[in-house]
Amino acid sequence: MTYILRNQKAKMNMLLFLTFLLITAAVFSLAVGQHFVSLTSVYRAIFSFDQQSTRHLIIRSTRLSRTVIALAAGGSLAVAGALMQALTGNPLAAPGIFGLNSGAVFLLVIAATFFGVTSMELSIWLAFFGSMLAGLLVYFIASLGRSGLSSLKMILAGAAVTALFHSFTQGLLVINQESLESVLFWLSGSTAGRDLGMIMPLLPFILGAIILALILAKDINILLIGEEMAAGLGQKTIIIKLLLGLSIVILAGSSVAAAGAISFIGLVVPHISRFFVGNNYHWLIIYSFIIGAVLLLIADIAARIIIMPQEVPIGVMTAFMGAPFFVYIVRRGFKVNA
Amino acid sequence: MLNKKNYIAVLVMALVLILSISVMAETRVVEHAMGKTEIEGTPQRVVTLYQGASDAAHALDIPLVGIVESWVEKPVYKYLRDDLSDVKQVGLETQPNLEEISKLNPDLIIASKMRHEDIYNLLSQIAPTVMEENVFRYRETVKLMGKAAGREEKAAEVLNNWDQRAADFREKIEAKMGEKWPIEVAVLNFRADHARIYYSGYAGRILNELGFERPEDHKKDTWGVKLTSKESIPEMNAEAFFIFMSDDQAVENTYQEWTEHPLWQNLDAVQNEQVFRVDQVAWNMAGGIESAHIMLDQLYEHFELEE
Amino acid sequence: MLKNLKISRELILIFGLILLAGLIFILSLSFGSSYISPVTVISHFLGLEAGSYNFTINILRLPRTLMAFLVGAALSVSGLILQANIKNPLASPDIIGITGGASAGAITYLSFFSADYGIGGLPFAAILGAAVVSALIYFLAWQKGVSSIRLVLIGIGIAAAVDALVTMIIVFSPISTTVQSYVWLTGSIYGTNWEDLFQFLPWVIIFIPLAFAFYKSLNLLALGDKVAAALGLNIQLNRFLLMTISVALAGSAVAYAGGVAFIGLIAPHIARKMGGKSYSILIIYSVLSGGMIFMAADLLARTAFLPLDLPAGVFVSGIGAPFFIYLLYRNRNQF
Repeated sequence: MTYILRNQKAKMNMLLFLTFLLITAAVFSLAVGQHFVSLTSVYRAIFSFDQQSTRHLIIRSTRLSRTVIALAAGGSLAVAGALMQALTGNPLAAPGIFGLNSGAVFLLVIAATFFGVTSMELSIWLAFFGSMLAGLLVYFIASLGRSGLSSLKMILAGAAVTALFHSFTQGLLVINQESLESVLFWLSGSTAGRDLGMIMPLLPFILGAIILALILAKDINILLIGEEMAAGLGQKTIIIKLLLGLSIVILAGSSVAAAGAISFIGLVVPHISRFFVGNNYHWLIIYSFIIGAVLLLIADIAARIIIMPQEVPIGVMTAFMGAPFFVYIVRRGFKVNA
Repeated sequence: MLNKKNYIAVLVMALVLILSISVMAETRVVEHAMGKTEIEGTPQRVVTLYQGASDAAHALDIPLVGIVESWVEKPVYKYLRDDLSDVKQVGLETQPNLEEISKLNPDLIIASKMRHEDIYNLLSQIAPTVMEENVFRYRETVKLMGKAAGREEKAAEVLNNWDQRAADFREKIEAKMGEKWPIEVAVLNFRADHARIYYSGYAGRILNELGFERPEDHKKDTWGVKLTSKESIPEMNAEAFFIFMSDDQAVENTYQEWTEHPLWQNLDAVQNEQVFRVDQVAWNMAGGIESAHIMLDQLYEHFELEE
Repeated sequence: MLKNLKISRELILIFGLILLAGLIFILSLSFGSSYISPVTVISHFLGLEAGSYNFTINILRLPRTLMAFLVGAALSVSGLILQANIKNPLASPDIIGITGGASAGAITYLSFFSADYGIGGLPFAAILGAAVVSALIYFLAWQKGVSSIRLVLIGIGIAAAVDALVTMIIVFSPISTTVQSYVWLTGSIYGTNWEDLFQFLPWVIIFIPLAFAFYKSLNLLALGDKVAAALGLNIQLNRFLLMTISVALAGSAVAYAGGVAFIGLIAPHIARKMGGKSYSILIIYSVLSGGMIFMAADLLARTAFLPLDLPAGVFVSGIGAPFFIYLLYRNRNQF
């Protein structure tokens, strides 16, 4: 594995730079939109809020919430992707590719269109459950057969499970045509759909899952050496893997509950992070979170200014940004034990 | 494309031609979006395949034997339910059941080119079929159905009736508003995950006929826009709003969120207290002439006018 | 002796499958808004009826049922070829982006062109979309030849991007076409007439026999690239030609039936489940099982919720998906 930041200090400096980038992106996300707001106004809106100012209102009411959502969802998806890649030993693993997003979306569409579920608390649990269901299904399908789990099988199983939930969702919406038009944006990802108050209950989950991942980082590093070796070192791999799975499901489910189905962030970001810090998960998790947040913020800013006053669904933006990168990873080649 | 004059000329010529030949059953040639169709006598068993046509059939007293399922208030909109609930359902507007239609043994089918172009040939084999270009052009629907069902006089009467009411409304509202008339209005719609401004389309056409203006930014030839961010609220600005939406908790939540937003409070219509919640069926989904009257009823009421 | 026994087993299976397909075929002609007894259907075909069912059977049910069979067969053979090429039974045209390409073409046409140019151009737009996207996938997967793994991975990636494109077109298309686009994406052969059938027929008549002609290449490819090359197969050429056949079958089927999923995945599985090592037999099994599944799905779609006539795609996924998981479990050692 080649990566460019070899020593602790370089990694620390880069981290500072990325944090700076994150803050810049967040500030721009507050300033840019249908009405451009000067940076001083952004500063004032946050630190000396004036109820009378329209600009302050826009920032506080709509942009702040979408900035927080993009930040949280981007970071969560990226970390979920990094953890999945470790768990499966598969560089193309990601919540979108492995059907976790589509599983969560399916359950949420059923809940919203047929049972009129609007409570955020219930939606969160449904999203967790949906992504868990999809994840287990992929794992089950991929581990069938004599040759055991292989990367290619896992990806194909993921694609098949995605297709499965996708077509279920499609079927439901075709039969219930009126509700179809109501969830189209959300099906393709949207940071504008939820208020800050609605996503607040998600943040403790996300924070908890990331702390859990950081605690596990050392074990992940050992796991990456190889399972037998890990067992030899006295690691209880089953427990580690279960905890990893828990963390992944929470992160992927939360991001769907907050912003709908957003693809490719979970796949691409861990690779960018790896380019900087290699496969050391202490650093990789932190880097992934920040880079994921930065990328989704940028995608969101682009999404809202391309065709004002309308917006491109953010999942579409990330797909267009991510697909070339995906092709690049595949072409560059990686070890597939198929 | 034929323009109106040519259209009439062709029709007159066709009629003259036919009248001069035929001595027995009266056969009419009706020109429509998919070509020309010959229809004999006065159809007694009619099937309509879009909402606006079912509405118009009701207005013209055309004997219906089959209709498609409504979008909401399934299977028949409430305002038509008393009279049409016994009419046989033939499936979804997007995929009406052809066997069901043929079983009804109709003598006229009214459909929409936009929805049913690919089944025109099959429908024509079941019964003479005429197609309207779209689904929401209430005037054209009435005219076409009047011709096809041999009820042109009734159709003229229905349209005339509408024109008179529209003229009355224009007069009354102008008298009431004085200098301020014509006011600029916008038609808004809320969904579970976004909001819409309808520029043209069904309600837009009717408001146009009634003399309402649209804000400069809304004078576009597209159906409207979908807005996802509350930041876009100022785009909606107009002197009065008509808002329709489905009766659903998720939609209601979106509505609450958007209308509680500070930007919403700055809109002219909100400050003038000219925000009217209207019925989604009459204003959008029915797309017929009778629903247009219901719209008008609601407008008289909202602007406190005596008819 | 043993060899003959095996052949006869296969023949019996094929015969049984034909019988079953025939049964579903007759049932499809029997059931609908009005029930026509199977006996009546048969006597109708023998000319013993007065022609009272000419319209219902000849014009409505027959072209639609035949179309269902052909679409199912085409998708199934397309999937079988892909699975042999990629050496993994989880590949199928909808998973590696071929169907997605057709959808992008069709939805673009439906949203922006059909109002001006008529609905008749839709199949061509869909086939064009499938061809362009497949060519792109092939091109991107090329690195001194195309390896099966790269092909499937790039296909999955491109499929995701094309899906995003389709979503975007639907979101920004005129609202009046949204519902129709979605019905199309689900897959439906509603309103099929003889003209549609005759337009689609050449694709099947040309490409399924062509697939059959390549059964030896398929047999070799299924052994793995190295073995196949050692046995003298020009892998790149054969892979390219087989991919072309697969794309032509899937693209044309999708053009006339919309974005049907899962048949290309399940039907070849059923074929394998019946045994048969040679692709000559597997192709026949696939044709019959794929055709049967889609006929059955469409029969259900138009009769289960009368008077509603629903898109068949809903039922393919509804029945197909659980069945698919079951099959994977049963066939787990074939991976």
